Amino acid sequence: MISTLQHYWSVAACFARLAVQRQLEYPLFLVSWLLMIPISYFSGAWMLKVIIDRFHTLNGWDFPQIAFIYGLGLLSHGVMVVFFINTWHIDNMVIEGHFDRLLLRPMNVFFQLIASYVNFIGLIDLIPGAIIFLYASHLVGMEWSFVNIIKLFFMMIGGVLIRAAMFICLGSVSFWTKRSASLVGFTLTLLERTTMYPLNIYPRMLQLIFTFLIPIGFISYYPASELLGKESGFHIPLSMALWTPVVGIVCFIISQFIFSIGMKKYESSGS
Amino acid sequence: MIQAYWYIAKMRILTTLAYRFEVFAAVGSQLILMLAAVFLWKTAYTGDSSSNSMPLDQIVTYTILSILLGSFFICDVQNTIYRKIREGQIVVDFYRPSTLLGCYLADDLGTMISSVVNKVLPLFILASIFFKPPLPVSFTSFLLFVPSCILSYAILWLLSAIVGLTAFWVMELGNLGMVKDSIVRILSGSMIPLWFFPTSVQTISKFLPFQYTYQTPLSIYIGEIDPIDALQAMLIQSVWIAVLYVLLYVVWNQAKKKTLIQGG
Repeated sequence: MISTLQHYWSVAACFARLAVQRQLEYPLFLVSWLLMIPISYFSGAWMLKVIIDRFHTLNGWDFPQIAFIYGLGLLSHGVMVVFFINTWHIDNMVIEGHFDRLLLRPMNVFFQLIASYVNFIGLIDLIPGAIIFLYASHLVGMEWSFVNIIKLFFMMIGGVLIRAAMFICLGSVSFWTKRSASLVGFTLTLLERTTMYPLNIYPRMLQLIFTFLIPIGFISYYPASELLGKESGFHIPLSMALWTPVVGIVCFIISQFIFSIGMKKYESSGS
Repeated sequence: MIQAYWYIAKMRILTTLAYRFEVFAAVGSQLILMLAAVFLWKTAYTGDSSSNSMPLDQIVTYTILSILLGSFFICDVQNTIYRKIREGQIVVDFYRPSTLLGCYLADDLGTMISSVVNKVLPLFILASIFFKPPLPVSFTSFLLFVPSCILSYAILWLLSAIVGLTAFWVMELGNLGMVKDSIVRILSGSMIPLWFFPTSVQTISKFLPFQYTYQTPLSIYIGEIDPIDALQAMLIQSVWIAVLYVLLYVVWNQAKKKTLIQGG
């Protein structure tokens, strides 16, 4: 058991090294990306500020709190983009037949999928997110106590897992329908608009859907509400620090299940 | 010769219709943006009783129409040029008897026509279901809105073409069109009208072309700009078109020279 884990770990490290080398080959290429992403995120925060300056609150959320949830959402997005970005490419790999290559190797296919693309360029997403979050937590006066840091850590993991699970499920759709790349963009927009604003701006119906059907609310809204000590729409017992990772793990397991069903179909169709 | 351009546009219409999954995702994304923006405004307005700003349904119409225009104004020329330069295919387009930029414009116009059915119409219906139909304030404003839109599209397209052509020099930096898009998104008033911004920003924006792309036609539509001022605004739009056209002409000639020197 230990030796299997060690083996997997060494493969992951090797993949990571290759990924970094690959991404550093054409550094200038990233300039446009490096400009665009921070501009998008900071301007998004700026626009929220403009609205709140005029209207003072959004359902009881003032600017520091809005910036807090915005930053929190961006953090889990950034971490997901660094580690799980290959889930966006599943449909391309199905079409090009790259999965055959992965199937031939004596290692878990999903592991290979994820470990082979550690996306350091994703740091461009993560760093503005961290800046905004740290700034907001300063404005809000969040106490960086040991408990809070642990809570934050678990909320992060949960958030990342929920996001990854969504993309895995959508990517797995391509095992049946071949083309699903456009759904990635759709999901990104959806996640953006639901994790960067407090969920209570949406009507009750949508809040219900995003809590119980597709648990996006657990990525940033409920954790942020708890850390800020605010009332969220539903009274959920126990701490979000417990619920979020649990929801994340459950979602992830479901997505793994869907992925493996898709893989079986892929193998049997002999593409 | 016009037939050649029409053929390109027609092909583009047919290809876009064939990809229905993409269409669903595109409409879906725009719908989410619309819902998020409108709910954000509604929430903002509930908390504010003393506001001296415009009534809620006007800003909702503004936002909904902004999304509709956004899915209608297709300026893929910047991505097309970038991609073709990267793949080396741009040379092939130089050989054709029709002008390269003319072809790309025909491409975009074709996509625009199909996007009316694919995106604008469904989004209009969805907006009417979720909120209310975004109708213009008066018939006159609608009559002025249409030419203003045409002028807006010209500004946007010329900007995209110029930015796209910069790839002839700085291709290694990546797709600068994306950078331009994020800047335009803020400064064009497509998300938040510029009169919400601090005065310093508004002053600077007056001397940039961006606010005349979305904010001007949208303001005409909701009646924020009355008919007389609308004509003046359209004059400013035309000035910008002239400026950008000259700029495009210069950049295009430089690009052609560069390609000839390098032997394609």
